[in-house]
Amino acid sequence: MQQNCIQIENLSKRYSGSVTDCLSEINLSISSGDKFGILGPNGAGKTTLISILCGVLEQTSGKVKYYDNDHAVNFNMIQSKIGFVPQEYALYQELTPLQNLEYFGALYNLKKNKIAKESRYILDRLGLTSVADKKILSFSGGMKRRVNLALGIIHQPSILFLDEPTVGVDVQSKVAILKFLNELNEKGTTIIYTSHHLSEAEEFCNRIVLIDNGKVIIKGNLQNIMKDHKTENLKELFLEFTGEEYRD
Amino acid sequence: MYKLWVAVKKEYHLLIHDKAGLILMFALPLLLVYIITIIQDSAFRMVNENNISILVVNKDEGEEGKNMIKLMKESGFFDLREDASLEKRNIKKELEEKDILTSLWISSDFSEKIIQKANLVGSSMLTELGLESASNSEKKLSMPQLEFYHDPVLQENYCSSVMNITEAFLKTIEGDLMISELCAQLDLKEAPVQIRNILNDNQIAIKRFSTSSSESEKLPNSTQHNVPAWTIFAMFFMVVSLGNNIVKERLNGSFIRLKTMPSSFFLVLGSKMILYMLVAVIQVILIFSLTKITFPFIGLPELTMPGNTTGFILIVILSALAAVSYALLVGSMARTVEQSHVFGAMSIIIFAAIGGVWVPDFIMPDFMKNLALISPLNWCLEGFYVLFLKGGDWSALQPVVIGLSLFIFSCLALSFLKLKNEKIV
Repeated sequence: MQQNCIQIENLSKRYSGSVTDCLSEINLSISSGDKFGILGPNGAGKTTLISILCGVLEQTSGKVKYYDNDHAVNFNMIQSKIGFVPQEYALYQELTPLQNLEYFGALYNLKKNKIAKESRYILDRLGLTSVADKKILSFSGGMKRRVNLALGIIHQPSILFLDEPTVGVDVQSKVAILKFLNELNEKGTTIIYTSHHLSEAEEFCNRIVLIDNGKVIIKGNLQNIMKDHKTENLKELFLEFTGEEYRD
Repeated sequence: MYKLWVAVKKEYHLLIHDKAGLILMFALPLLLVYIITIIQDSAFRMVNENNISILVVNKDEGEEGKNMIKLMKESGFFDLREDASLEKRNIKKELEEKDILTSLWISSDFSEKIIQKANLVGSSMLTELGLESASNSEKKLSMPQLEFYHDPVLQENYCSSVMNITEAFLKTIEGDLMISELCAQLDLKEAPVQIRNILNDNQIAIKRFSTSSSESEKLPNSTQHNVPAWTIFAMFFMVVSLGNNIVKERLNGSFIRLKTMPSSFFLVLGSKMILYMLVAVIQVILIFSLTKITFPFIGLPELTMPGNTTGFILIVILSALAAVSYALLVGSMARTVEQSHVFGAMSIIIFAAIGGVWVPDFIMPDFMKNLALISPLNWCLEGFYVLFLKGGDWSALQPVVIGLSLFIFSCLALSFLKLKNEKIV
């Protein structure tokens, strides 16, 4: 049986000034080695959930446990084990990919040699070796997205959080990113990601949670869910549970 | 240590990419220090070193008008030109055409009336002493007027100085005439010369002292004001570069990513402070050394460095820290790069104007002097004044050090509270 790497218990989040919960009583468990998709329409609470899980936001109530330890108590201890790839290009576009990797690698407490070795490997795997010394300002959206990913995995995290990692990129970049994520997962990295691309999620994830209006609608093994609900694809399942109304 | 080194290196790379920021921090203040010093130096020399240009129109038919001119020439205060043929109505035109700032009109009855006055005073004195019987002559004379014309751009105190000097010469002439008249009436032929000699030999002198505590007293000049003033301006103008840098990081998600990392946010802020402190020190070295070397070659007064080196280093460091802290505050408060850019630059220009960077605060009106106290640039400048003009006395530096320290602490505390409120730290 796989070990739970994240256990979420009765997690709620209400932003200051709001009268409703953005997340309400979320209970989830994510196992080591999972490729876990957090799915839902716009405003469902996906980014809020992933932000709480990686320590960017604080929950209003409930608990998050990493490897059976309380988030609030032990988060500092597991910070070096988690990687975060935000939806924004959270990088310095005036610098080169290598300079960015050196900076963020150092902030993850990596030594100079380790940063150099990992940078070479990651840039090679993401097809960025030839532009390693060029300023990111001149890069395409896909290349920036790949650098953004590289910065989140320089320290070889055990758990990797990705918020819309393939948004706005071309097919080639998307394939390269997903291929690399699969490789990381095969090496033992637990991947937790949000996406609007349901076909991509269907292809990539083994487990999902579908949330809407801050509540868990459905969760579990993707194949089992589809089988139980007799749907042919994730899109059908998604629309069945969330409806076709606009969610602006 | 490696972490800090890499963080400082990252800030360095960001800074050298910011070409506009570099120009604002280095090229612009250097240009301003040269331009403003040259302009202010010529004004300073005009008032302090050049003689006052004056056109004397002497219509006097006697000798006293000539005596007046002689005294003015001998004083060395005036660049005096004479034109006895000029009509009163043409004086204004003459001043404009010949670029002369002032003019003195001496009327035709000047000698006659001033001698009459001397006679009257002399007779009155002898009458009072009982040496002469009272006459029926008039006690009140119709005295002539000297007319003083000046360029309207001249300041009031400048005009008053010229009039006071002229009046002093007038008194000298009157005094001389009275002594001569008195002696003549008493038939004392040698007495006037002897009395004049006694008066001249026993004058009460006024010795002038500057309140500087330095052994080598330095007179304030355009260099001693402008070099430190525009260096402080340069330091504070880093608000544009550093403020933008912080806002960009807040907006692009780098700070958010940092929250997930096992590193303190203070490392990032610390690296920014270290690099920009270095920038400020380089600004001081660059501006001070360049101006010290080049000013004498372009006819400007040489920059004289203060004797209190420790005090100088302390004020440079405090000024740099004040500038960095202010930039951090602006960067933390601004919501957009544009806000940071516009507010940062405008606030420094206003602080510089009211703080005495453009024109020294000691020539400002009282309410502006009080207003200057709200400008951190004024406190920094006061520190440099103490060092450059007042001999760098530690007791005089103390309020500057305390004021700047409080300013630095306040800026850092407010920045921290704002970032804490935004849950960045």
